[in-house]
Amino acid sequence: MSNAFKWIAIVAVAALALLPFVPGAVDAYYFSFLFFVFLYAIMAQSWNLVAGYGGQISLGSHAFFGLGAYTTAILWTGNYLWGSLYDTHPGIYYFDPVTMALGGVVAALAAAIIGLPLLSKLRGDYFALGTLGFGEIVKVLFVNGGDFTGSAFGIVAPAGMFDTLRPHYWVALGLMVATALAIGALMRSRYGLAMIAVRDDEMAASANGIDVLKVKVAAFAGSAFIAGVAGSLYTFYIFHVGPDSVFDLDWMLLPLMMTVVGGTGTLLGPILGALVMYAVFDLARIVVPDYHPVISGLTIILAMLFLPKGLMRSFAGKARLA
Amino acid sequence: MQPDETLLRLEAVQKRFGGLVVLNNVDIAVGPNELIGLIGPNGAGKSTLFNVITAIYAPTQGRVLFRGKDITGIAPHRISRLGIARTFQLVRTFLTMTAFENVMVGAVYGAGGRVKHATEAANAALELVGLTARRDMRTAHMTLSDRRMLEIARAVASDPALLLLDEPMAGLNPTEIQRMVDVIRRVRAERGLSMLWVEHKVDAIMKVCSRVIVLDHGEKIADGTPREVTQNRKVIEAYLGEPAA
Repeated sequence: MSNAFKWIAIVAVAALALLPFVPGAVDAYYFSFLFFVFLYAIMAQSWNLVAGYGGQISLGSHAFFGLGAYTTAILWTGNYLWGSLYDTHPGIYYFDPVTMALGGVVAALAAAIIGLPLLSKLRGDYFALGTLGFGEIVKVLFVNGGDFTGSAFGIVAPAGMFDTLRPHYWVALGLMVATALAIGALMRSRYGLAMIAVRDDEMAASANGIDVLKVKVAAFAGSAFIAGVAGSLYTFYIFHVGPDSVFDLDWMLLPLMMTVVGGTGTLLGPILGALVMYAVFDLARIVVPDYHPVISGLTIILAMLFLPKGLMRSFAGKARLA
Repeated sequence: MQPDETLLRLEAVQKRFGGLVVLNNVDIAVGPNELIGLIGPNGAGKSTLFNVITAIYAPTQGRVLFRGKDITGIAPHRISRLGIARTFQLVRTFLTMTAFENVMVGAVYGAGGRVKHATEAANAALELVGLTARRDMRTAHMTLSDRRMLEIARAVASDPALLLLDEPMAGLNPTEIQRMVDVIRRVRAERGLSMLWVEHKVDAIMKVCSRVIVLDHGEKIADGTPREVTQNRKVIEAYLGEPAA
């Protein structure tokens, strides 16, 4: 990444971080728009990690997003973490880093458990279908989870905590930047080298000492961790965690489209894709509410026809990491 | 040869695919710093033999021993870490990586398991095969001959004791073949590793190798110096057919 570009990125992030201090910004439409762009960018990074860099097309992101959301809601409403502290500090679960991290850990564990059999037996399209099936299974389990998961209705977290969107905005921005930095560092390390090797040629990778299954499962679990944390963040926004909202296929499909449009296997593609595609989706929803899926669909078709490699590779040149 | 000196030993290896016997009762011993040519007509079982050694296939019967240790059927990546590197008949380089990154994979994850001196090992391996000038070129943009060289560099960077070459000259023109012969000689001279080399270009094998093994229909029919092998009646029959009279 060039030095000039690094400075542009730093200035952009700083400007975004200071935006909530601008009078009136928090109440403006674009404020919640940006929050969703950040959230989708995190999900897109999650998909890009396993599919773009790891070469394993997963269609189960929504399951990990939902697992993170539910984990947060269950820990919070059941007060499984902080005991009596919760009585004295009623806000302790709200944006609690431990709760959010556990959302990621539960999703990552689920990915590791399901990833071992799936990734050792299934390849390519079959793995993709396996993850899609896993998503449906998880959803059904939560619908039938009784009081623990709130069944078909789900769980309502104490929505009284909410008074401004500022923390959501900052945390989402911070997580988006942290995810990009972490994935950037990972891809420059020996582990990133192994991931690209496995993506490019599994047989050559194993003939050169790489434990292919381990790399695949790790990429899948890492991707799930990111999705789980994003799901946790969403709980603090939506408060009502239900099977139809957090296990919605859109949590998988939209980040997938955003990554493909932005540039699969690039570091900034998912962020750029999230910004562009979410703008298109939202604009279509406002301007032509009756036809908005048509506009969104057309945009994706046009992007695939004219920018098959994604925005990053079409305009930013060759660099894999750029 | 002392038994403890033997690097690789195949004991009565048999590989069957259903009713088809591809390898039958094959015994092979490879000593230190030996360059052995492995030839045989199409379908003789040469590539299958490589795939059995590198654990891509498990043999139906028999054992593969490396430095006296039974390595039959262990995971392919562990074979690499023990010190057996290979190249592929249909070149398998990492196409989205640069030449240097390709070689780094071998240096970091191979038998050397280097983290600290991986860069030096990778640069030295590129130098050895003459690809230093293409260090930062994407593999997808390289010629077939350069990719074959790159595979050898990647294998060498993994610091193996035994290198398996699977038809490294396939698809190369005479100039490139000469370059490949030079590289194979240089690798052997500078790294002191043993090589088992499958090749269709029999003349190249006869010129370079000290020992030649001939497979036919899955069986070892000859094992000796190039001179012995070319005079072996079974070998002549396998390649040219039985005499008319």
